[in-house]
Amino acid sequence: MNVTLKVFRYNPDVDKKWHYDTFNIEAQPTDRVLDLLEYVKGYLDGTLTFRRSCAHGVCGSDAMRINGKNSLACKTLVRDLGEKITVDPILGLPVKKDLIVDMEPFFDNYKKVLPWFINDSPLPADGKERLQSPEQRERFDDSTKCILCACCTTSCPSFWASDDYLGPAALVAAHRFIFDSRDEAAAERIEIIAETHGLARCHTAFNCTMACPRDIQVTKAIGELKMLTITGKLE
Amino acid sequence: MKSRNLPLNKRGFNFEMIMWIFTRLSALAMYTLLLIGFIGALLMGAREQMNFADVMRWAFMPNPSHVINTNIPDIAPWTALFWQLVASALLLVATAHGVHGLVVIADDYIVTSNGRKIVRLISMLMMASTSLIGLYILWTF
Ligand code: SF4
Ligand code: SF4
Ligand code: FES
Repeated sequence: MNVTLKVFRYNPDVDKKWHYDTFNIEAQPTDRVLDLLEYVKGYLDGTLTFRRSCAHGVCGSDAMRINGKNSLACKTLVRDLGEKITVDPILGLPVKKDLIVDMEPFFDNYKKVLPWFINDSPLPADGKERLQSPEQRERFDDSTKCILCACCTTSCPSFWASDDYLGPAALVAAHRFIFDSRDEAAAERIEIIAETHGLARCHTAFNCTMACPRDIQVTKAIGELKMLTITGKLE
Repeated sequence: MKSRNLPLNKRGFNFEMIMWIFTRLSALAMYTLLLIGFIGALLMGAREQMNFADVMRWAFMPNPSHVINTNIPDIAPWTALFWQLVASALLLVATAHGVHGLVVIADDYIVTSNGRKIVRLISMLMMASTSLIGLYILWTF
């Protein structure tokens, strides 16, 4: 099938303003948008700039707005989009070049929630593992699937308003550790995420859940954190 | 194993979260109060003249000066203390709920912490003055 691919272009060295470039490409319905971009870069215009690494939905580097919806280019098939495909950078972060945005504000927010395992108590008597039951593991299973692609955070109206808002990805990371029975810093983290630019800024718009390429129930996770501030129940 | 509960002072239960919860609960409270006004009107013989405007008056402004316009046979019962209290409760809850809604919207546009403080201050003044004027009307006319 013949696909008309419109790509957002911006080169800060020459362009005053962004524009679209349009390419006509022969594609298979089973091609992914990433294949189209690779084709453009390889054969039509080598200056096209975008991030990608794994090409299999694992690294989270090729999040972009495809026909208006935040998705991973490597997980979006041409047949689900039709003959007209428009690709823009994700919203709410400064564009550096073409489809590449500055991810620093996103990762700064991520770091704020202390996204690492904290447990200073001595090892169990046998000196081996800190054990966890399957139920305890299940409690935070969904949020372990996050690949930090930023599809959620850059689809969130509260984040567009201000990148001080922690954003869904950072809250998912907080959820991952707060509800881990082996972690001991829940109180520290909940204090961080309950501040002015945290939890209460989520208006339950569900954009994040719809955007997540890993099908994480993002809004539900945020809801559980809100509930935690009321009940204090970590189980 | 240690208890997996966070004590109240360690739950991040701060002003922001209290206001977040308040907005949810006040919405429920408003539904309850609206139903009280509406059911009250039905009990007092309002079965014949139902239209949107009348229902709004019973539900949102259950006081004699509004109910009189809705062709209710007898408005005397509406002057009772009970209805004054219902109307006042609705006024206070709705004002606080609405003003907090405005604050939340303003927070999308005013993102510096000083700016937000000013917005909160102005909103509290707005809330207090609206509530006072409303109460004055409800209890003196
Ligand atoms: S549910 Fe909350 S975090 Fe998710 S997009 Fe909406 S406002 Fe943002
Ligand atoms: S929660 Fe989903 S959308 Fe958000 S960063 Fe993680 S994987 Fe991406
Ligand atoms: S390239 Fe790694 S997720 Fe798409």
